[in-house]
Amino acid sequence: MRKSGSSSIGAGLRRRPSVTTEEDEAFARLGEARAVFGRSLHVRTIDTGSCAVCESEIRLLLAPHYDLHRLGLFFTPAPRHADLLMVTGPAVRAMDVALGKTYAAMPEPKVVIAVGACPLGGIYPEDELVHGRLEKVIPVDVFVPGCPPSPLALLQGLLVAVGRLREKVTGFSFSEDFGVLDPPGRIRKGPDR
Amino acid sequence: MALWFWRGLRKGVVTTRYPAVTDPWARGLPTPPVFDPKRLTVAIADQAVAACPSQALAREGTLLLLDLGACSACGRCLAVAGPAARPSGLFELAATSRGHLVKSIQIGGPAEGGI
Repeated sequence: MRKSGSSSIGAGLRRRPSVTTEEDEAFARLGEARAVFGRSLHVRTIDTGSCAVCESEIRLLLAPHYDLHRLGLFFTPAPRHADLLMVTGPAVRAMDVALGKTYAAMPEPKVVIAVGACPLGGIYPEDELVHGRLEKVIPVDVFVPGCPPSPLALLQGLLVAVGRLREKVTGFSFSEDFGVLDPPGRIRKGPDR
Repeated sequence: MALWFWRGLRKGVVTTRYPAVTDPWARGLPTPPVFDPKRLTVAIADQAVAACPSQALAREGTLLLLDLGACSACGRCLAVAGPAARPSGLFELAATSRGHLVKSIQIGGPAEGGI
């Protein structure tokens, strides 16, 4: 099985050579980003009208308890240096220009993460002030739900975004039988953590 | 000092892997609900839909739709649904497609009346 998958995309893909489902396709696509970024990924955050709790959680990623740097992830103040954009807030229309400029200034390949319930369309409906969903403004690669998402959830989102972890949420039905698949609190091992 | 730091110094490894097991305190985080289809009835589902402040719940016939992207884990549906729902304990819910976050739960309880 390992020999057949002699792809140059990444070591994680060699264990799963056949791309079958939509989830696998997404993993393969993000795995290409992983091959480019390796273990040095620079992250730019932008706030499109969030209540600042998501920012508080993002900032906690730098605390010694989580220590983002040990995973090779760094925050950068300039979008031109950024590989990945974390967007919080419900995409207020007043931020359209700033968001567009930030996205355009990032070099290819770029990955976008929507952080929290707001950019996912959970809290604010679309009206004359907000877009409601970030997808309406820029393409989004990874969605991280939560209000706010905890730093551990953000960490998993970042690693899913660069193909270092597989997403887990497709394995859960949120019916009572979910415990059979994975006990709560445990993290299933990804292909190449 | 953290063990990974000494390991890095000893082996010259700059970056480390993702932790295999979450910290014990993470079990206390607020998390989206998980529903028991056998105890869930249409009446309870409707109460939970009405209690949800962020429209994360919706009922379509005998299906309860749970949108994890919209859920803020406030716990109001847990208060309404009683034993038919409990916190899932799952918070690492990053998804590569918005559709992966919408879960449908079969309502398998009695058609009329509560528990």
